[in-house]
Formats: sequence, C-alpha cells, structure tokens
Amino acid sequence: MPYKKSSVLAIIFIILLLVGSQCVFTVDQTQRAIVLQLGKPVGSDLGPGLHFKLPFVQNVIYFDRRVLEYDAPPAEVLTKDKKNLVVDNYSRWRIKDPLTFYRSVRTISSGLSRLDDIIYAELRVALGQYSLTEVVSSKRSEIMSQVTKKCNKLLQEYGIEILDVRIKRTDLPPENQRAIYGRMRAERERQAKQYRSEGREEAVKIRTTADKERTIMIAEAVRKAEVLRGQGDAIATAIYARALAKDPNFYQFLRTMEAYKKGVNDNTSFVFTPDSEFWRFLNKSR
Amino acid sequence: MNWDWDKLQERRQRQNPGGGPGPDFGDFNQKLKQIKGIKLPGAKIVVLVVIVLWALSGIYIVDPDEVGVVQRFGQFNRITGPGPHYHIPYPIEKVQTPKVTRIRRVEIGFRTLQKKTTFATNQYRLVPEESLMLTGDENIVDVQFIVQYQIKDPKNYLFNISQPVKTVKDAAEAAMREVIGYNKIDSALTTGKLSIQNDTRELLQNILDRYHSGIKVVAVQLQDVHPPKQVVDAFKDVASAKEDKSRYINEAEAYRNDLLPKTRGEVARIINQSLAYKESVVRKAKGEADRFLAILKEYNKAKDITKKRIYIETMEQILSNPSVRKMIISDKALQRVVPYLPLNMEGLKGKSTSPKGKNVGGKK
Repeated sequence: MPYKKSSVLAIIFIILLLVGSQCVFTVDQTQRAIVLQLGKPVGSDLGPGLHFKLPFVQNVIYFDRRVLEYDAPPAEVLTKDKKNLVVDNYSRWRIKDPLTFYRSVRTISSGLSRLDDIIYAELRVALGQYSLTEVVSSKRSEIMSQVTKKCNKLLQEYGIEILDVRIKRTDLPPENQRAIYGRMRAERERQAKQYRSEGREEAVKIRTTADKERTIMIAEAVRKAEVLRGQGDAIATAIYARALAKDPNFYQFLRTMEAYKKGVNDNTSFVFTPDSEFWRFLNKSR
Repeated sequence: MNWDWDKLQERRQRQNPGGGPGPDFGDFNQKLKQIKGIKLPGAKIVVLVVIVLWALSGIYIVDPDEVGVVQRFGQFNRITGPGPHYHIPYPIEKVQTPKVTRIRRVEIGFRTLQKKTTFATNQYRLVPEESLMLTGDENIVDVQFIVQYQIKDPKNYLFNISQPVKTVKDAAEAAMREVIGYNKIDSALTTGKLSIQNDTRELLQNILDRYHSGIKVVAVQLQDVHPPKQVVDAFKDVASAKEDKSRYINEAEAYRNDLLPKTRGEVARIINQSLAYKESVVRKAKGEADRFLAILKEYNKAKDITKKRIYIETMEQILSNPSVRKMIISDKALQRVVPYLPLNMEGLKGKSTSPKGKNVGGKK
C-alpha cells in the first residue's frame, strides 16, 4: 500500500517536526530568556540565538534585554526652602538579572510599579535636601546621579538596573509662576527705565558739553579778538606818537582845525565880533 | 505549530481512552489521501519549486542609505553594506534594513502640523509644557528646539533600546533643561544660544551613549527662544528702551555736530573781525601819520603862512556851509543887547518849520 506507507511517513514527519519545534527555541537579539522545568528554573540567563530544551517539561520565559523606559507623571515636590516644584522625571532601566526579576516581580508592569515606588520616594528625599535654585541649576546632575545610585542599590534585589534617573522638567506651580512673571516684568521695567534714563543722561552730557565748548570757544575768540584789537591800537598809537612827536603844536592846530570842520554842522550858530581874528579885515576895510 | 500540536494531542487523548480509530483520525486520513491524490502528478516539481522559491526568498537588497542587519536564529550575526545580498531564508535568518544615513528629527516645544496644500507655509502648534523652562536665575524662558539624530550603531539602535524616538525626546528635554538651568535668562535669550546648543548636544550624546542607544546626535538647534508670553511685552519694552537710549544719544550728538561747526564759524568771524580792525587801525594810523608828516614837512618850510592858510581855509569851509548861521555883532552891542534869546528862538523856529538852508540862506 504505497498510499498508506507514505501517509504514515508523513504523519511521523509531522510529529517529529512538532516535537522538534518543542525542543528548540530562539531568543531574539532584543531578548533574554530563562528556562523553567516544571516551574523550577534550570540554567540561567540565555542570550540570543538557538537553544534547546526538553519538550513539554520545560518552558521558556522571555524578557526584554533592551533599555526600557519608565516615565513618571509629573508631581509636586517641596524643596528645602519650602518651595513647590512640579517635577517630571523619567528613568531608563533594564533587567539585569532575569531570574531574580522573575522571582521578585515577574512582569514588566509590576517591575514598573516597584520602580515607581522607589524612585518617587528617593527623588523626594533627595530634592527635599536642596533649595529650588540648587535643584534647577547647580546641583541638578548631582541630585540625579545620587538618586540613580541609591535606587540602583534598592532595586538590585529585583534584578533591575537603573541606567539613570533624570529630571525631565522642573516647573513651578501656576501661582509661583505668576509670581515669577511679575518679578520678571518688574525687572525688565526697571531695566527699560534704566536704559532710557541712561540715554537721557548721556544726551544731556553731550548737549551741555557741546554748549560748554561753544561758550569757551567764543570766549577764547573774544579774548583773542581783544588782544588783536589792543595790538592794533598799540601799533597805531605808536605810529601816531612817533609822527606827532615831531611837532605836537602843529598837530594840535591841524587836528583842531579838522575838528572844527567836522564839529560845525547844520544849525550851528556863530556869533562873531568884528574884532575877532577872522573878521579883522572886514573892520579894516570899513 | 504549537496550536497544531495541541490539537493533535487533544485528538490523541480523546482517541486513546476510547480505543479504536476515531472519526477524526479517519477524516484526517481521508484528507491526507485527497491531498496526496491531487499532488501526485507533479509532486516532485512542486516540491522543487517550493524549495527554489524558499531559497530565493533569501535575496535582499540594501539601498545606499541603509545597512542590512542579519540575525541568525534571533541572534545578531552580521552587518552588510549596500547592494544585493543573500541570507539563509526564514526561519533561520532574517534581515532588517534601517536607514542609517537618514537624519531624523524630534521637535520639542512645538509640532509642525501637516501642510494642507503644498504652497501653504508650515503651521505650528506650540507645546508650552515642553518649552517653558526655568533658568538658573529663577526666570522662565520659552525654548523651542529640534534635535537631529542619526543611527550611529545599527546593532545597538535595533536591539538595545525599546523606544528610540521617546528616548531621544526625553533625554533631549532633560538635557536642555539642565543646560538652561545653568544659564541665566539674558544669555539664553541673546549671546548664549550657541553654547547652549553645543552643551545640550554634548550632554544629550552622553546620555544616549550611556543607554548604548547607537544614536548619534547630529545637531541640537534652538528654533525660538523668547520670554514667556505673559512677560514678552516687558522684554520688548526693554529692547525699545535700548533703542530709545541710543536715539537720545544720537539726537544729542546731532545737536553737538550741528553746534560745534557753527561755533567754529563764529570764532573765525570774531577773530577775522578783530584782525580786520587791527589792520585797519594800523593802516589808518600810518596813513594819518604819513599825511601829517607830509604836511609837517611843508609846514616847516613856511610855518606862519601855512598856519594862517589852513586857518582861513578851515573857516571858509565852515562858513561856506549854507546851513550854518552866522551873526556878527560888535563887542559893545553884544554887551548891551542882553536878551539875545529871541534871535535864537527865531532861528530854532526856522529850523523846525522850513527845510534846511533856504530860510537861513536868506539871512546870510
């Protein structure tokens, strides 16, 4: 019976295939696995690749070997200086010891809740030791590494390794934000005022300096002018004196005559007596 | 496979306690027969075709911007470059081809919305809870930035981190806040941007390396850094106050630049006027002196007659002026006629009522 024979072979082949598929299993590069023999772990931590197991009595439990994330919801924290801070932190972690992890928390979600408990508590403890400015600025990385270290120690018994605990956001509660906005505004207003007053100050300085320079320059010019005039007058005086000294009387006479010419204008009334020098001839002729 | 096995087991279990061939098994046999019956004519060819197709399914092509990452039984085996390659087909090997040269981008503080048409400009939606950050001097600043990253190590990228995008985004937010926390608001808003970008990129790279993420941060770019909208007016006013300051100064300088040349001009005028005076005075003196000396020279030759001539000429000139009133009275008459006034009065009247010369001219 060729049909029968081949069908039996086929069945055997399928059975072998099925049994075989129960004997081997692969672990992906993103995974690690432990094998349980009737609930009891045998052999530990299997890496990626092809592995063998006993069919039916052993089963495989896979774990993620990748870096996993834990993102906590933002929560308010009180800092050392009694200020409220809304802290949003996250953490990256991975399963370090799958067996321990399986024994203590079994699943990722319950692992996360352990993480949540521990990180939440540790972060609050740590943040409570620092003031707001330190949390935001100077001590931030220190706090983060401190919390990471502490959490790692505590989570060791769960087979969890924490790569880091990071403070993602540190925000202020709305009412504090308003206060900060108010302060920022006041600060800027002060600055704006300062800039404008500085500008005015500078402007006044420049203007008055210019005015001062002008006054000085004019005064200096007037001084020089007076000197020059004086020089001119002096030279003129010297010239006159030199010339006139030759015959002062004649000069006096000449100059007087000229003054007469200039001094006697319209409507000047002259009253002469015929005896006067000028009219002398008039008398004689009469 | 498992499912089939379970089913088969169930069937067997059902079959064994009952004993004898069950209806299911017969069914199964019959089906098998049917299959065999159908396959019979070209069974070998079909098997061959199936094997060839299976073998061919191992061919894969890696594009120039990709690498091929081959896993054998789930385990990382090798990395292949661009070009055609072959891997042992499923279920033994499988391949992934991540685009390693592509630069990916994460937006923080805002999201670019899809364009409605190709001609429209991008629309943005702000995410203030991501962008508002506390600075080191306890101010709040609104920072929007993007992170560009690339796959540095495809093996780590594929197998080491669970959510690459979220990992980058979380780490970037943490890094940026940390860096902003070190900075003061003014430097974040103005000169510190470049160093903030660099510091954040460095810190972000450190964090991602710590996760063995296989990600390379290409750039951290600040898109928009500005004060929160609640205080933005005050900040803008500071900017305009700065402008005002320089305006005031410029105005004053303009005043000075206008005033000083004018003043220099005036100075020159004053000096020149005085120089002119000096020169004119000196020249006049010289002229007069020369004139005098000239006259004196001649005078010395004939003193008396010259003196007289000058005197007479002067008198002539004076008296020839028609508007000068002349009156000749003898000494005795002068002493007698004491009230001389009426004559004077008349003269004054004449001056006030008539034009110069005529009235008086008559008297002459």
